[in-house]
Amino acid sequence: MKTSKINLLSISGLTKKYNHTKALKNISFDIPNKSIFALLGPNGSGKSTIIKILSRLTTAWTGDIFHNGQSIKLSNNYLKDFGFIIEEPCFYEYLSARDNLKILSRLTNTPFERIETVLELVDLIHRGNDKVGKYSYGMKQRLGIAQALLHDPKILVLDEPNNGLDPIGINQMADLIFRLNNKGKTILLSTHSLIEVDRLCTHVAILRDGNLLIEKEMEPNLDCKFFRVEVDDNRQAISFLKKLDYINIIAIENNILVISQDLTKSSTDIQKEIKKNKNIKSIHQESDLIKYFYD
Amino acid sequence: MIRSLLYNESIKVLSKKRTYIGFILILFLVPIIVLSIGNGAEYLENKIYGQLRDSFIVFGSLTNGYLATYLIIAILTGQMPFLATIVASEIVSGEYSKGTFRMYLSRPVSRNLVLLSKLVIVNIYTIIIMVFFIFYTLLISTMFLGKGDLAVFHLGLLFLGEGDIFWRFFLAFNISTLVMVTISNLCFMLSTFFKNSVTPIIITISVVFIGTAISFIPLKIFESLNPYLFTGYVDLFLTAFYDPVPWLLIRNAIIVCSLWSIFFVGFSFKHFSKKELLE
Repeated sequence: MKTSKINLLSISGLTKKYNHTKALKNISFDIPNKSIFALLGPNGSGKSTIIKILSRLTTAWTGDIFHNGQSIKLSNNYLKDFGFIIEEPCFYEYLSARDNLKILSRLTNTPFERIETVLELVDLIHRGNDKVGKYSYGMKQRLGIAQALLHDPKILVLDEPNNGLDPIGINQMADLIFRLNNKGKTILLSTHSLIEVDRLCTHVAILRDGNLLIEKEMEPNLDCKFFRVEVDDNRQAISFLKKLDYINIIAIENNILVISQDLTKSSTDIQKEIKKNKNIKSIHQESDLIKYFYD
Repeated sequence: MIRSLLYNESIKVLSKKRTYIGFILILFLVPIIVLSIGNGAEYLENKIYGQLRDSFIVFGSLTNGYLATYLIIAILTGQMPFLATIVASEIVSGEYSKGTFRMYLSRPVSRNLVLLSKLVIVNIYTIIIMVFFIFYTLLISTMFLGKGDLAVFHLGLLFLGEGDIFWRFFLAFNISTLVMVTISNLCFMLSTFFKNSVTPIIITISVVFIGTAISFIPLKIFESLNPYLFTGYVDLFLTAFYDPVPWLLIRNAIIVCSLWSIFFVGFSFKHFSKKELLE
């Protein structure tokens, strides 16, 4: 899906304090229309706080967010354009899936026929009358998506969508995100997985400790490749790697080294060469985005 | 929008088993007590009116449906806060603990309207359970034990004629419901503060218990404080069977309970509108 140049959301000077801790520190970035936009960062970086501000679950904050040019502080009407899955999806477990969706339909004046459409979309049409308490985790995740899509929002906001999913579930989720984006929906997702961002997203904003490190459009890096290397003995591994002139050590964290490699040599050859050293336990290619965490 | 919200809240409340606990308890308990009163009528009359038999000649039995209703209400009203707050304690806190507010409040709906719909349902529930308690007791009692004059103690023994009784039960219902709604509103307010439904009930019952205890302690400070506490009016419904009915006291109770309710509800809205739903 080609992204539109028009910004659907503009976040400007967003600051949020919890007691004396600043969870967000004067953050500004734009989310283009029809993009798959990732909020990337470790736990506690402020990703979920941005989503909770957007969803009005957090009330006291400064700065502003503009949706289609209008401040969201003025009214909560903008929420009709948003569908959220925040942390784990939650339900009235004593009600059936259809009744859960009916409750939400009434809040947005969504016709009940739409319930069947979204149940079909997430493949729960035949289990719609079962109480949600009887659903498996995967079914609940799917019903969560149905809830978020019920009123046909323009923007789907997913907070850590792959949490707790098995590999098949992760693939299904990725599939769904692509399908929805192809239908013209803007997707905003928070994640701490670089691979997920590489695989799915058109844009990324990287957060750490409430600061925005970078906001960028995703594009292939033609300069170098990055690897995460697990080692037994740091000192010996470092002295070994330093001898290889096409390798740069970016970061050292306990027994993990993050290295970059210029593209003069094939990465397969390099991996083979590095693995020969007995100190190296494993080596995995990493996303280019990792460099932003170790600047 | 408020109609949709009220409908949603009704569905939620009606779908929970706990909503029916109070009704089921009353449904079975009242006939058992009524039948017991019927069976032990002679013993009961000796206990209650025994000493008066020296001064009065009583023809027939004093035990009838009205006396049974009067006794049951007098005994059980003190326990009604447990049942009346079942819904109030959980209606907000339950949504915090289950996380359902995350999806409910991230829709274009005003928090104040959501809370208002919950408050309306809590008050309706409280009124319904009080209606059920008092009028079901009256129905079962008169069905099993028949009607007749009601003999109560007020400045001695007071006989209320059969035609003078029903409106007094209706008045007693109104007074006790007023107090019970105030107690529910306290529990409702606490429900907006806590993430579990047990704490609001425990605090509410403790407040009622302590407040009622204060009203019985003959100390000047408590006596001067008591008229301003809603807990001082928990047994005020008994005055509906006085002659004359102390209307001034009832008016004071209406004012005090209403002011407390306004305080509880106002505080709930103030807290809930700014509440950060972080978990």
